[in-house]
Amino acid sequence: MLLSELKPGEYGIVKKIKGTGALHRRLLSMGLLPGAIVRVVRISPLGDPVEYEIRGFFISLRKQEASFVEVDKVTPLSFIPRNSDVRVVFIDGGVGFVQNMGAMGIAVGKRLKIIAPCCPMQVKTEKGVFTLGRGMAYRVFVR
Amino acid sequence: MLVALAGNPNTGKSTIFNALTGMKQHVGNWPGVTVEKKEGETEIEGTRVKVVDLPGTYSLTAYTMEEIITRNFIIEEKPDVIVDIIDASNLERNLYLLTELLELHSKIVVVLNMFDEAQKKYSIDVEKMSRILGLPVITAVGIRGKGIDKLKDKIIHGKFNPKKVEYPEDVERRIEEIVELIKPLNIEPARWYAIKILENDAEVHKKVAELGGKDILHRAEHLRHEIEDIYGDDIESLMTSFRYSFAHGLFHEVAEPINVGGVTITDMIDHVVTHKIFGLPIFLAIMYLAFQFVFLVAAPFQDAIDLIFNGKSTATGHIPGLVDLSYNWMLQFMPAWLSSFINHGMLRGLGAVLTFTPVIMLLFLILSFLEDSGYLARVAFLMDSIMKKMGLEGRGIIPLMLGFGCNVPAVMATRTLKDEKERRLSIALNPLIPCGARIQVFAFISSIFFPSNPALVLWSLLILSMVVVFVLGYIYSKTIFRSKSEPFVLELPPYRMPTLKGISIHMWEKSEGFLRKAGTIIVGAAAIIWIFAALPWGVGYGSPDSYIGMFARWIAPIGTAFGLTPEAIISLIFGFFAKEVVIDVLYVLYGSKEAIYYAMSPIQAYSFMLFMLFYTPCVATLATIYNETKSKKFTFFVILEGFALAALFSFAFYTLTSILGVSV
Repeated sequence: MLLSELKPGEYGIVKKIKGTGALHRRLLSMGLLPGAIVRVVRISPLGDPVEYEIRGFFISLRKQEASFVEVDKVTPLSFIPRNSDVRVVFIDGGVGFVQNMGAMGIAVGKRLKIIAPCCPMQVKTEKGVFTLGRGMAYRVFVR
Repeated sequence: MLVALAGNPNTGKSTIFNALTGMKQHVGNWPGVTVEKKEGETEIEGTRVKVVDLPGTYSLTAYTMEEIITRNFIIEEKPDVIVDIIDASNLERNLYLLTELLELHSKIVVVLNMFDEAQKKYSIDVEKMSRILGLPVITAVGIRGKGIDKLKDKIIHGKFNPKKVEYPEDVERRIEEIVELIKPLNIEPARWYAIKILENDAEVHKKVAELGGKDILHRAEHLRHEIEDIYGDDIESLMTSFRYSFAHGLFHEVAEPINVGGVTITDMIDHVVTHKIFGLPIFLAIMYLAFQFVFLVAAPFQDAIDLIFNGKSTATGHIPGLVDLSYNWMLQFMPAWLSSFINHGMLRGLGAVLTFTPVIMLLFLILSFLEDSGYLARVAFLMDSIMKKMGLEGRGIIPLMLGFGCNVPAVMATRTLKDEKERRLSIALNPLIPCGARIQVFAFISSIFFPSNPALVLWSLLILSMVVVFVLGYIYSKTIFRSKSEPFVLELPPYRMPTLKGISIHMWEKSEGFLRKAGTIIVGAAAIIWIFAALPWGVGYGSPDSYIGMFARWIAPIGTAFGLTPEAIISLIFGFFAKEVVIDVLYVLYGSKEAIYYAMSPIQAYSFMLFMLFYTPCVATLATIYNETKSKKFTFFVILEGFALAALFSFAFYTLTSILGVSV
């Protein structure tokens, strides 16, 4: 789907930036790259542009420009309700964080079941049941 | 020694620059373009250091003027040290620019600015970062002057052993092949050129072609396609991704996020000021309060300056001002006409410029506050979809808003618009926004003729001007100033409390520019207008017998169509030189407020204000427009546009009310 189709509060993982030229390059240098996580923050009161969070900062894009960005909708693990079955699509962190998660059976492609959504969050992975901090759960994206 | 400051926009670069150079700085333009260039000087341990503030950029592609300036400066001027100012609270993206700088230069001092703010977001291992990068990394809080001594120390004594940004093996191999190929061209830094050739960078492509490297470009194109085939994406996306993954990796190596997902103050403020329903009213209210502040605070200063120059008429007589005193004093040793020219012409003109100063300074104070605090970016966010209809990006609202203060700095502020067509469109619309001077005149006239509700009358004129600007902008953008819309990728920085020092420097820079440029023209114009107002010799100054008076009487029959009295016409002619003078001229010609009240009907007064709202911009604005566009044709177009609108509205209003027999 297109970035412009996501609603406020929703997350997407960038698949591709279409187009060429100044806009294309500008989006890239802002860090809108394949694999990056984007959150839709809010829509301007007049309906356009839209504010997005990416890599910890905020940018505003017109809908027409956001439609150059192809995304897959994802959700942070922390937003997933009890008893849902989900699949991990992205872990936002450095090597260390990814390894720590991996040790608990949380890695890209793996399935998880939410035992308790909050607080603390408990998930069942192929390696057993683990407790996750809120900060951690925010950095694991699932579908 | 030459030091260049580089960094993203909104990283506090200018604060560091100010802290390094103090007031020893010079603001100018980069050759041939309208991008601002700041240079300064400092001394570190006895070494004279020239500091250049490079434009804020997110990357170093060849797509914007700022980026081209930055990289050309580094390649051509070869600064001894580059200081990369990084917003530590936005580490990952800021590190991206560093990856590009690393390809251009080896001596880079990394400054983690706003470090206090960053510590609320993550804990950063500065030591480790310095070790990985092989560069000096220091922390700073620019607004508190923290870290400046360390920075100075590193500029002189820093050890540089920079890490190369590495691409995947199959890309590296191809970069190396191009490095070999371009050796005969003798261009440095070779690796950077090779990478840019591979990326198909437009500027580098041109340069290499000029140097006779056509074959190299052909080979590079082949290599580029190979890479694109291997990775299944376009080269720009790929190369940016590779560099970003370096930045990403480094970021996660050195920074441990804390408080992920918490609600920030910025988010809370934005929740209110960009609220679906309250956002726009809050914006209007902030603007209203800002201007109230400007005028309320400026008024006593203006009165004081006016009193000093022009004295005061009271019931018991006239208290002489500087102009009168100096006139009388000079009479002792020079003819009356010369003393009158010097004092009534030029000295009074200087007085006019100075009276205008408090408004200009306060206006820039407020605008700097709004800009430095981060609110101006939200204005662009709020207003974009309206501005887009006028063919402008969201930031196009800023010069238009500035116009309410003074069209001179507003026209200068159109520089923020990159597209030349957009810029001209914005300049053409700007004078239609009533500046502070015109608003003052409207306030004065409204208070005489509509004492029960002068604010409402004033408001009606402001609204009208906005509607006209909007409609005209829409028409222009579809016709004569048609252009492609700029990509609107706007950063919304976190809110920050601006510092007094930062704002003062900002305010001074801009006010000084205005005083120098517009000031000279206004004084000059005052001298010229004296000639027309005081001659033929012996007539009352600006009286119906003077040249201006004669002209006004000659044109009076036309003026009646708009309800304009000859005195009103004279005042408008004077207003061409500086709009605020209109009040004084009316005052002088009629003698008192009461006399003005009896000379015109409220309908005539309103028609007069409508005319004044749009007719030609003042001399200073026109001079600025010409200076910015370097086009006589365009400047003339702006004058014509103004008169056409003035005549249209004034005539329509006056005729309609006469036909309908409306009276107030």
